[in-house]
Amino acid sequence: MTQACHRKCVPPHYKESELSKGECVCLDRCVAKYLEVHERMGKKLTELSLQDEELLKRMQQGSGTA
Amino acid sequence: ERPWVCERIMAAPPPSAPGEPAPQPPPQPLQYSLLLQYLVGDKRQPRVWDPSTFGGIPCPPKSEEQKMVERVMESCPFKAALACVGGFVLGGAFGIFTAGIDTNAGFDPKDPYRTPTAKEVLKDMGQRGISYAKNFAIVGAMFSCTECVVESYRGKSDWKNSVISGCITGGAIGFRAGLKAGVIGCGGFAAFSAAVDYYLR
Repeated sequence: MTQACHRKCVPPHYKESELSKGECVCLDRCVAKYLEVHERMGKKLTELSLQDEELLKRMQQGSGTA
Repeated sequence: ERPWVCERIMAAPPPSAPGEPAPQPPPQPLQYSLLLQYLVGDKRQPRVWDPSTFGGIPCPPKSEEQKMVERVMESCPFKAALACVGGFVLGGAFGIFTAGIDTNAGFDPKDPYRTPTAKEVLKDMGQRGISYAKNFAIVGAMFSCTECVVESYRGKSDWKNSVISGCITGGAIGFRAGLKAGVIGCGGFAAFSAAVDYYLR
């Protein structure tokens, strides 16, 4: 996340040591988007793996009875 | 101390009754959905984001008061107020100075060569100072406010911010005297702030 947001938001002009207001605003937005995408992907992955497990259980039960 | 994640998941099958050789249950496959909840889902553990742990230069963490003060000082209204006060002071000084150079106080048509009294000179200086100060303060506050808003919207900090906000400010000032004066004001002020920005960067 640090590298991605640094690449997007901090242009390589090193004239002063403090982050300017535009860069701060850009970093805030970058981090917020990154974390939200992270959250949604986590939920989706959990959902997908739940489906996989259901399928696996059904297959095991099916092969057990057969 | 919470037990490790793996132990909690592996303990999912119920413990067999004691005292008899319990039938060994088939080894449960690792339930990835449970694991994922701890990694990327709702049961994430809170982490301490210390820059020295992920490759940054170690620095002492900022206290809450320091962060609040920095947030106020970087905010748009504060910058506009600062420009307003600065403009007022500068305009006052400029007005008093020009009143000393180009005075028309105490002019009596019947006797054009009489020297004005000190009271008249001071009054003239005060009036000009105040009027210049108010103008400078308003212009400065408008310019600073628009520049801050434009920079917050764009998310970048380069020379275009001051040009755009110079155009807006000059246009707003000149617009009161007609559309053409507004356009000229926009161009002139934008060029002026571009020159200042070029000199400063």
